[in-house]
Amino acid sequence: MGVREPVGRTTGAAAVPASGAPPGAAPRHGGTDEPWAQAADRFARWSDGDPAALDDLVRLMTPVLWHVVRAYRLPADVAEDVIQASWLALVRRRDAIRDPAAVGGWLTTTARREAWRVHASRERATPVEDQHLAPRLPRQTSAETEVVAHEQRRALWDAVDALPPRCQRLLRVVAFTNRPDYAQLAADLGMPVGSIGPTRGRCLAKLRVALIEAGEC
Amino acid sequence: MSEMSREDLLDVVRRVWEQRDPVPDELVARMQAAAALAASDVDLELMELVERATSLAGARGATAYTLRFVYGDTDLLLRIAVEGEVSRVDGWIVPPQPMTVHAIRTAPNGREDSVVSDVGDSGRFVLVDLPVGQLQLRLEPRDHSRVAIATPAFEI
Repeated sequence: MGVREPVGRTTGAAAVPASGAPPGAAPRHGGTDEPWAQAADRFARWSDGDPAALDDLVRLMTPVLWHVVRAYRLPADVAEDVIQASWLALVRRRDAIRDPAAVGGWLTTTARREAWRVHASRERATPVEDQHLAPRLPRQTSAETEVVAHEQRRALWDAVDALPPRCQRLLRVVAFTNRPDYAQLAADLGMPVGSIGPTRGRCLAKLRVALIEAGEC
Repeated sequence: MSEMSREDLLDVVRRVWEQRDPVPDELVARMQAAAALAASDVDLELMELVERATSLAGARGATAYTLRFVYGDTDLLLRIAVEGEVSRVDGWIVPPQPMTVHAIRTAPNGREDSVVSDVGDSGRFVLVDLPVGQLQLRLEPRDHSRVAIATPAFEI
């Protein structure tokens, strides 16, 4: 049984096939089913009465939720409220999740919907303040290799920065979620659902070009 | 180097955001605490509100009222005095038993926090300076073989 998310539907036209990671790629969030399978396992253990499994589930999924919610440019404290509300919703509505395999999608969709709602109400209430993300560079050492690594990292950051904001948000959400719910994502981004797939393709193409120009691939 | 695949590109996106906007320290610990607290609520036995009496104290809109909750043989009496934006709760548990009282407040944004108070041998406890809003009291017997009980959420 596939992962079902609580709202909306992935339409046939926009459905993304589950992709296996290329050989050598780190088994990270989104790229593989692995964290989602782990989430399912932990949720199932918690439902069976193991309280420690809830801790494990929170440890696994909170970083994913952080990146999904922060894609909506919410300040850290607001993002934290959204993430906490998502966890409380999971705990209180756990009976609504019949299939443990759905828990990863359920959590990220719940967090994204709430992030979008808060984001939209903030935009109405106050002029958009572009949240400046202070670059957090690791401390430099004098070693030449460090400098090179640093420059490479900078080039990757610049390539992502050069993307239009909508691309940045879409790719961040897609990168950290396994199979985002395209219908909801389309509504959040104010796009027709059928255009999410092509837009994602264009955003990835822009990123590829930026990386090539930076000499990163 | 060959052209980057979709997965390679998404991996770049992940790495960039993990480096430049890392998960704050302690965020996981705070979420674990919040989830555990909510989960413990789920297993609570709920007390029943059996009595409510309001007495207007008069001066400058200050009000006081009493609530009585019951679960099994345990009675919980609360006297709540509200003055302006803050309130004070005097509680009395009958029969007295060693317990910890968690007062869980829910802010309008859904955020929860809690204040803890110990119940003495007299069965009495006090909570002061509570902001008005939704409140739920959770009573945890120090004897862990006894079930934790909670009031329904009520407005003060």
